[in-house]
Formats: sequence, structure tokens, C-alpha cells
Amino acid sequence: MSWLGAAIEWQSRAVVGRHLRVYLRNWYTAFLPPALEPVTMLVAFGLGLGGYVASLSWQGRPIEYMTFVAPGLLAYATFMTAIFQSLFGAFIRMRYQRTWEGQLTTQIGLAHVIWGEVLWAGLLATMYVVIVALVLVGFHLAGLITIAIAWLPLILPVSFVAACAFGALGLCFTALLPTIDHMNLPVFLLVLPMGLLSSTYFPLTQPVLVALNLANPLYHLAQAFRGLLLGGPVVGPLVGVAGLSALVLAVLVPLDLRLLRRRVLGD
Amino acid sequence: MAWLLEAHGLVKDLGGRRIVDGVDLHCEAGQIVGLLGPNGAGKTTTLRMLYGFLRPDAGRILVNGIELGRDLVRAKRGIGVCTQDDTFDGDFTVEQNLTIAASYFRPRPTDLAQRVPELLERFELTPFAHDKPETLSGGYRRRLMIARALVHRPRLLFLDEPTTGLDPQARMGVWDLVDRLRTEGLGIILTTHYMDEAERLSDALTVLARGRVVALGTAKAVLGDLVGEHVIVLDAVAAPGVPAWLAGRGRGEPASVLGAWHVPVSGEELAEFARAFPAVRYEVRGPTLDDLFLKLALEP
Repeated sequence: MSWLGAAIEWQSRAVVGRHLRVYLRNWYTAFLPPALEPVTMLVAFGLGLGGYVASLSWQGRPIEYMTFVAPGLLAYATFMTAIFQSLFGAFIRMRYQRTWEGQLTTQIGLAHVIWGEVLWAGLLATMYVVIVALVLVGFHLAGLITIAIAWLPLILPVSFVAACAFGALGLCFTALLPTIDHMNLPVFLLVLPMGLLSSTYFPLTQPVLVALNLANPLYHLAQAFRGLLLGGPVVGPLVGVAGLSALVLAVLVPLDLRLLRRRVLGD
Repeated sequence: MAWLLEAHGLVKDLGGRRIVDGVDLHCEAGQIVGLLGPNGAGKTTTLRMLYGFLRPDAGRILVNGIELGRDLVRAKRGIGVCTQDDTFDGDFTVEQNLTIAASYFRPRPTDLAQRVPELLERFELTPFAHDKPETLSGGYRRRLMIARALVHRPRLLFLDEPTTGLDPQARMGVWDLVDRLRTEGLGIILTTHYMDEAERLSDALTVLARGRVVALGTAKAVLGDLVGEHVIVLDAVAAPGVPAWLAGRGRGEPASVLGAWHVPVSGEELAEFARAFPAVRYEVRGPTLDDLFLKLALEP
């Protein structure tokens, strides 16, 4: 079993199936946050803060701030959902619920547990993105924003791939951090800065930030979604998302496996 | 003989230290093998290698004739594991824990609709089928752990200290269940710190010390080989000459428990002791696995 082959083996799907079953059982609490969060964000940043934004342009044409933020919300939801699931959700399953240990006494191997967590982060983030997209459709139909809703289905596979990469990143911290209290370190030092400074909520013009973000899949994700939904360059950002996500997965999944083998198996 | 489990020359180093050093172990259908040893003897590491949790650095493990190192997934289809700590899935009910565990095996257990109620009934978990596992008492949690390990009908079962922390009644309940599983033909590898449990349940013992097998066979044979035929128990203060008497026979300090010495001896040594200490009051009893553990713990 290679680390890569494990991604498509039935054991990884069984792990995802387990997480999905737990999630769907609490669907009413699980679906509420992703539906309410974009509404709050659009109202706060779009209607509230947007009223103070005098002028904003996208691809050389003026644009309402609320419309500009809408694709960013989809990218932000992808990132935050995936990384929080693989940080807190995975850590709780590994450390407190001992779900992994129970799974490892069966035909499930550690590589399947890890891919199961990565794929679950991807799937959950995509489900959240669907809900956020539905909210955006509602805002579009109400005339509050203007987006190309016909392109919305295309964002789902892109969101899934990027979310898997973010999930692999979150698992690295899960493998390294000794207690759940230490999660504050990645959350405040990486997750929040990355989530907010990736062209999600405002256009990046500062040269240093733009240069740094070239290696950031979330930046390319936000740009790709904006290109699709508002009209603009799509191919470049999509290549950026796909390439960087593949690179992150190729580097971090084997690293996760190595770190978690030591932590979970003591080997 | 057709072994359910064969382990040859298992070696494992962890943290730069040799934890398991050339362990052999066998188990056949309908047999309970007790894996014993003092803390740090390498029991848990050996067990974890046997059920595929850890990879041995050297040696071979065959389960139902399938080598773990070559086809781990297929070999694990025939293994059930009840870990020392509760690892049931707290997000699911008792009944759902059995069905979710079944989903981690291929080929899938085909008769799950009958198998789950049957296990719930057998392990007296039916009244708690829709409760969360954490609401169960310790004894019923253990029952759930064993039931979950059996949901896919394995032929070989690993029980890692299955009664630790249980009250006497719950322990005996688990013993009954384990004994019945043996009569149904399951091979069982059992680790325990309770000597009475090992003596009552095990058909054969494998005793580890410092990562090596130091004795194997029936409890009686192991005790005879490693401890002796008899154990003299006497007040340490009343017989100050005993250490010197033992030293004269090339033996070390006697084991001391609550101010009493426990001195394992052969039949001949018992007669010599009686001649050497005619005025000392003492008690003679048969050896137990406690004596074995004390002996192993005292050895350098």
C-alpha cells in the first residue's frame, strides 16, 4: 500500500463514510453555521462596511464591494472549513475520542485514516461551499449582488481539491501540537492571517503581500472564483490552485503519515 | 498442527531501545494463550505487532496462514481486537458501534442484520442498544468492546487486559464470555495483570521478561520451571538467617511482601529448610503467578 494509493482504497472511503454519518445525524446544527455565516459576512462587510467603500474596481471596471466579497466568501469558507476540521475535528478524534485507535484495530491502516481525514475535510468544505453558494444565489436574485450564477457548479471540484490540501496542512499541526490549547498557535499565526490576507475580503495591491500570495493556494482560489463569478482571468488562477494543491498534498500527506506514525503508533 | 497464529523471532526497537527480542508465540483454534510479564516486559509491543498495529523490525507473523508483512489487510480480516483502553466510537450508540465497526471490514459481514442483535443479546447489551457507550458501566463497556471485536466473525481474538478496573462480579461475567468463545473454537491471546485470571482462563502461558520469552507451557509447568514446587512464607524478622541460607544455594534476596518473605523452593530444599530452621514458624503453599512476577521483577 503506497501512501498515494491509499487515497482511493475502500478503507479511506469507509473513514469518510463514518465522518459523513456523524455529520448528517446532526444536520440541523451542522448546516446552520455555513448558511448563517455568509449572510452575516455579506451584511457586515457588504452592506455595512461596503457603504463606506467609495470606489472599487475589478478588471478595470467599477464594482460594488458586496459583489466583490461574494466569491471571496466561497474561498474563505473552503479554507476555514477544511483547516478547522483537520485541526480541531481530527485532533479530538485522535486524542480524546480515540476513534483512530479503534479504526486501526480493523482493516483500516494509518494512511487510510489520514486520507480519510483529508478527503473528509475536502468533502465537508465542499458541502459548506454549496450552502454558501445557495445563499449567494439568494442575494443575487434579490438584486443585492451580481454574480454569474451559471458558473457556480464549476467551483465545487476546485473547492474540493483546494480543501483537501488545506486539510493536509491542518493535519500537520494536529500531528505536532501536544494539546488542543496549542491550536491557538496555528490559528492566530497562520489561519487567520492567511484567511484574511489572501484577496478574500479586499483586493491585494501591496507588492509584498502579492508576492507572498503567489505561493498561497487560497489566494489563487479566491482569484479563480472571482474570475469565474465576476468575469476575469480564470485559467492562470485555476492552474495556481491545482498546482499548489497538488504540491501541498504531495509534500504534506507523506509528512503527516510520518509524524502521525510516531504519535499514534509510537513507531 | 494448524496454527491460527504463528509468530517467529519477533524483534522490535522503539526509541533506540530493544523492547522485544526474538519472541516466538503460537495459538491454535479453541485455545487461550496468556501473554504475561511484569511492566516493561514487552507484552503490549508484542501484542501490537501480532495484531498488525506495529511492524516488527525482524521476524514473521502468520494469521490463518497469511503473513502479516505480505498481506496485512487480508490477515486482519480474521482478527478481532479488544484494546486495553475503551476505543469505541463515542459519536454512535451501542448498536451503531457494532455496525460502524463492521463497515471497516471487507468482505463485509453479510449477515449484519442478524449478527448485531445476536451480539447485543449475547453480551446483554440489548437494553442499552440505543444508548451512548459512555453511559454504560465499566463492565458493559468491556462487553461492548469485546462484542465489537467479534462483529466480523474473526477466528483469532486479542484481549488486552480485558478486565482491568472491573469489579469482581463484572470480571467473572467477562470470564464466562471469554470461556464460551474458546469453546466455540476461537483462538484467544490474552494479556492480564491478574494472576487468577491468567491461571483460570489460559490453556497455555507465554511469559515475557525484558523482551524475551522466559517460559511457556501450562500454568503449572511454567510455575514449576520458573518458581519451584513450593513457596515458604515466613516473618522476615523471625528468621534473619534465611538470606544467608539462600545465598549458600546461589540464590538472591527473597521476595518481601508486607514484612513477610516468600521463598520458592523445590521439594528437597523444603526438607533442608525444615532441618536448617527447626524453631522458625512458617507456612508452605503452592506457587502462584504472583510469585513468578515477583521473581522476574527481582531478577537483574
